[in-house]
Amino acid sequence: MTLASRFFRQPGSAHLDPILVGLWISLIILAALWIAPFIFIVFTSLKSAAEVMGSSAFSPPADYAWENYSAAWQRGNFTTASFNSIIITAIKVPLGLFLSAMAAYALACVRMRWRKLFFVVVLFGTMIPFQVMLAPIFRQVNAFGLINTYPGIILPYLAFGVPYQVFILHGFFSAVPRELSEAARIDGASHFVIFRRIFLPISLPVLAALFILDFVATWNEFAMALVILQDSDMWTLPLGLMAFQSQFQSNYGQLNAAIVMTVLPAVIVYLIFQRYFVAGLVSGAVKE
Amino acid sequence: MMRRSLRPQAEGYMLLLPALVVYLIFAFYPMIDVIRQSFSEWNGLDAQSRFVGWNNYRVVLTQDPVFWGALVNTVLWTLAAITLPNLIAFGLALALNQSLPARGTLRAIFYLPVIIASIAVATIWRWMYDPFFGLFNSLLTEWGMSGWIQDWLGNRKLALWSVFVAHLWSSVGFSMVLFLAGLQGVSQTLIEAARIDGAGRYAVFRHVTLPALGPTITIVLVLSLINSLKAFDIVYGMTGGGPAQSTQMLAMWAYTQAMQLGSFGRGAAVSVILLIITLVIVIPYLRWTLRRSTT
Repeated sequence: MTLASRFFRQPGSAHLDPILVGLWISLIILAALWIAPFIFIVFTSLKSAAEVMGSSAFSPPADYAWENYSAAWQRGNFTTASFNSIIITAIKVPLGLFLSAMAAYALACVRMRWRKLFFVVVLFGTMIPFQVMLAPIFRQVNAFGLINTYPGIILPYLAFGVPYQVFILHGFFSAVPRELSEAARIDGASHFVIFRRIFLPISLPVLAALFILDFVATWNEFAMALVILQDSDMWTLPLGLMAFQSQFQSNYGQLNAAIVMTVLPAVIVYLIFQRYFVAGLVSGAVKE
Repeated sequence: MMRRSLRPQAEGYMLLLPALVVYLIFAFYPMIDVIRQSFSEWNGLDAQSRFVGWNNYRVVLTQDPVFWGALVNTVLWTLAAITLPNLIAFGLALALNQSLPARGTLRAIFYLPVIIASIAVATIWRWMYDPFFGLFNSLLTEWGMSGWIQDWLGNRKLALWSVFVAHLWSSVGFSMVLFLAGLQGVSQTLIEAARIDGAGRYAVFRHVTLPALGPTITIVLVLSLINSLKAFDIVYGMTGGGPAQSTQMLAMWAYTQAMQLGSFGRGAAVSVILLIITLVIVIPYLRWTLRRSTT
């Protein structure tokens, strides 16, 4: 059996290890449990109200009630919500990454006064969950008159996204050999040029990982949007889903269709860019 | 020597400034300002807030019927959140680090809930806990175990832990990936050498793998602790703090006081208390991180 010849072995051993076989079977069972909620949600989203109440939880839908999706889309006002989510994510993610990369370059590669202090102040931000102080953030945004506006949500998103990204990129830039930038400086290149021509291109893999992590985080964000975007015309998809849940809670098919539609973009991005996810997490937390 | 461009230091500040300014105004300042707010009262409408000294703290600590319950829930939740999901994640990482078929797919499955919006996780689980047609009660009925049927989110004794199970499902994958990354750093040659010297499975784990994972374990514990304080969305979406405040937690209580009950001062006082608790844990970690990133 080819499976047994390649797998289920301890390092350096040629024998099949029965404990590993048992372990694998229990992993498969656990994985099935882990993924069961998704199957349940997708099945329910395609069932009519009568079928939800009449059929078994894991029985596939008898006839596909696709109309749940169109109905949920309209009742939940998902056109507006997706539009807002797309605008906010499309501005925040690239802009935030660019600002963080510039700042990380300055902190890692330019000899400045107070450099260490700035780094500590920024690093401090990676440790404080903003969920702890939603009302103070609301007050600050309100002081600028930006409640219910795109800048009003994008600016705090940028502010709370900067620390983690700076931290990771700082680690990456610090590891770049000094000679590379010093040679360019002797040739008369400014820091702007060195940043754009040398550091941005070589950090593309890290930037890609951060881009995807930040895309998902921004797309999914709920708490900050809840306090700042109070007008339903400004709602993002998570807010739309929450409102849908409280209004049409007993319309199970449509509710589940709304869940699927909210979650799908992030799932697709994850499945396509899986590799980068792990790379992004790991470069930040463990290897650094 | 003549310079045709700016001084390097000035260039550095220009690169640093945009990010720094946004961060200082919208993240750092509210963190400091919340302290000032906690000594004043503001209802969210008036032009001015009024200085009230320690009054907000006095009210929150002595007269607020919800605060202490929320504090206890926060502590219980945090303790549970740094132990249970991480133990499962550690076990999964150890298992998925062996030579097993379909490893990549299995990792992807366990990680998948992490990328689901937490408000969607809340909606998914709320629907599964639905007392009439939800997954759990339907399955219990089908399996002839009707005696076990519960109002999972409506029962005061059960609700917090029902919410916690949803949190567990959505957070195990995160710690698992960090542990897996840490395990990659454990030298395979060292493990094989220990094997050849006759060390058993447990001895290798105890004396080779575990010591090498020290820093990873610290990082996972602190990150899951910070994550557990973020457990706002999931509670808001599943129970809203109820029934009878039995799932109320400090972050949400700070929000509720300010944004729903219109008492920004008391909300700020709760935020400050929570910030102090966070800082006590985070500052040693911050120093540790700094030392690691400078060496």
